[in-house]
Amino acid sequence: MPRTFGDRLILILMIGVAIVWVIPMLWVLAMALKPNEMLVSSTRGILPWPHTLEHFATLIRGSMTPRWLLNSVIVALGMTVLTLTLSSLAGYAFARIDFPGRRLVFVLVMAGLMIPEQAILVPLHAMIAGWELHSTYFSLIAPRVAGPVGVFMMTQFFKAVPRELEEAAQLDNAGRLKIFWSVMLPLSRPALTTLGIFTFLFAWNDYLWPVITTSQPEMYTLTVGLGSLQGNFAQTEGLGFLMASAVFASFPMLCLYVVFQKYIIRGIALGGGK
Amino acid sequence: MKHKTLLPAVALLATVLGSTSALAATEITLFRFFGGCSDQYGTVTDLSKAVGECGIVQVLTNKFNAENKEGITVKTVTAEWGVYYDRLSATFAGSTPPDIAVMHRSVLPNFVVRDLVTPLGKSFAETGIDAADFLPVARDAVTAKGEIYALPFDVHALVWHVNADLFTKAGLVDEKGQPKMPTSAAELMQHAEQMKAKTGKLYFAIPSANDPMPTWQYLSWVWQQGSNAITAEKTAQLESKESKEALRLLNSLYSSGYASSKHDYAGAQQAFIHGEAAVLVNGTWGVDTYEAQSKDPKNALKKYVVRDMPNLYGQEGVWSDSHMWVVPKQSKPDPAKQKAALSFLKFLNDNNYHWARTGQLPARTSVLKSAELQALPHRAEYTKTASIAKAVPAIENQRAVQDLLVNELNSTWLVGKKPDQALSDAQRRATQILRRSRGK
Repeated sequence: MPRTFGDRLILILMIGVAIVWVIPMLWVLAMALKPNEMLVSSTRGILPWPHTLEHFATLIRGSMTPRWLLNSVIVALGMTVLTLTLSSLAGYAFARIDFPGRRLVFVLVMAGLMIPEQAILVPLHAMIAGWELHSTYFSLIAPRVAGPVGVFMMTQFFKAVPRELEEAAQLDNAGRLKIFWSVMLPLSRPALTTLGIFTFLFAWNDYLWPVITTSQPEMYTLTVGLGSLQGNFAQTEGLGFLMASAVFASFPMLCLYVVFQKYIIRGIALGGGK
Repeated sequence: MKHKTLLPAVALLATVLGSTSALAATEITLFRFFGGCSDQYGTVTDLSKAVGECGIVQVLTNKFNAENKEGITVKTVTAEWGVYYDRLSATFAGSTPPDIAVMHRSVLPNFVVRDLVTPLGKSFAETGIDAADFLPVARDAVTAKGEIYALPFDVHALVWHVNADLFTKAGLVDEKGQPKMPTSAAELMQHAEQMKAKTGKLYFAIPSANDPMPTWQYLSWVWQQGSNAITAEKTAQLESKESKEALRLLNSLYSSGYASSKHDYAGAQQAFIHGEAAVLVNGTWGVDTYEAQSKDPKNALKKYVVRDMPNLYGQEGVWSDSHMWVVPKQSKPDPAKQKAALSFLKFLNDNNYHWARTGQLPARTSVLKSAELQALPHRAEYTKTASIAKAVPAIENQRAVQDLLVNELNSTWLVGKKPDQALSDAQRRATQILRRSRGK
């Protein structure tokens, strides 16, 4: 279809917006490639030029960096798999199974959306301390799995699936679990992918809870570990290293986004269409 | 006959095993900020190779681990500065505090009032740490309830970092050709006007955008007038005439164009390095950074000197804080670990000179006066700061009061809030916080 003038105008506008969006990221990359001493004097220049690779070399050669990377992968994957499992099961139950007290339980779960993370930090910390489970994968993953957002998202999705599909499966003598596994889950792939990506992203970037629950450097996630390397005036005397840490930590996410972007967009569009 | 040789052999074996267990390694945890550089410094024990806060404290730790004869290993756990106290509090809450932790003077009261840190005065005497050698301000920093609770490591304070070339160009030099410092508020404004007229440059670069630096300058001027913003009796005096005068002077500098309220920390530094401002108000920690920048031919800053905070109101006084090392109380005290911790603290104290190479003032009088320290760049120019340094009284939650002061004072030059209103709001909020605070 030939582009109209309006299409071209929108395209130019979007390219302009994209450039404005990308400029700060280019600036971060440019600073990551400069020595710290140069950046104390000036932070000008948004076009990346490799004055030095020492910051990335320090990160890559860091003896704990692979361990922190592994911890982040384990925590993010673990959190994602468990969240998807629990959210899809709970979402299906709330959407399709009429059990006693369903409405009350759903309201209680959604009430969790109103409670900020900081409000439960202290009792959560005390609880995990009582179990002597701080600085473990359990303490890093488990508290985050009980997330109302995922349950809400999957509930809304399953509610929109036509009942006829389930009824057709029931006519073939399929039980609840089989209907869930063979019919509902495959249909919910876009929603699951979106939820999975957002959960993974959240887990990868998570800082506040991991920094409080991990006391041993071996259990730091990448964000906490890179933070522990920063000196007291990281934003001025250690700016190059700080920026390199940001690039290093976000690189896996960037790759993930490039691979899964069509699913993310589909998932957002699916949610927006309701 | 056999038992005659067997028994002594068994006794000998027991003795050997016994003495071996006495030398068994003791591992203690050192929890600190200052950054992580264990990869960069590996097992380096040569202190002459250590540069910067992280480097120096890491090499000190490496050296102790390599050279101590008691089989002690210090394991370092680092945390980012911004969340350090959250992490430290979490370890106490989880009953797993470290064996040694770094702390600020301004935070120590929070832990002392909760009985979370070990009194060390008696232990220092037994270990050979001479508390009489501590600078008076350092000793005061670690003392609570008449007892010493920490090993002071440094005193860090505000100083004026000066571009001497700009002072010369402005004609603000004394008979020796050295930068002339103001001796009153009126003289400061006059000098600032002269700097602007003769050079076109700002007199001050003060990190002002959401930074505590102007608040510390304000506190210094309140003390110089013989008053206190917060008293040891836990009362706020933020609406006193001294407080209003200090805030008036700050705002006059901004409104007259002698300082920029838009400078954040990095911006103020860059303005100073590029010759856009004659005086950078910052801490002792910046001395070596600016010395290095003044050697870079690309920078306008060439002749860099440091000056003690000028006395504008009659009494000497400048804001300060201190880094110190505390020994947290453990739920199951281990005498071997406590002994090991004290051994490491003695080592740190013996090497206080090396920590002073960061630009901070040492905690020991003998180190401050030593020829070795005085020979370091610029140290002789701000030695007096150690004797005029003051700090907020040892009250719990003083950092919360500082934070609200930063908000209220900043609002006067950032969003034009009326100074009297800002101080009134600060007084009300500070009173609420101080009501909940327990003292020394």
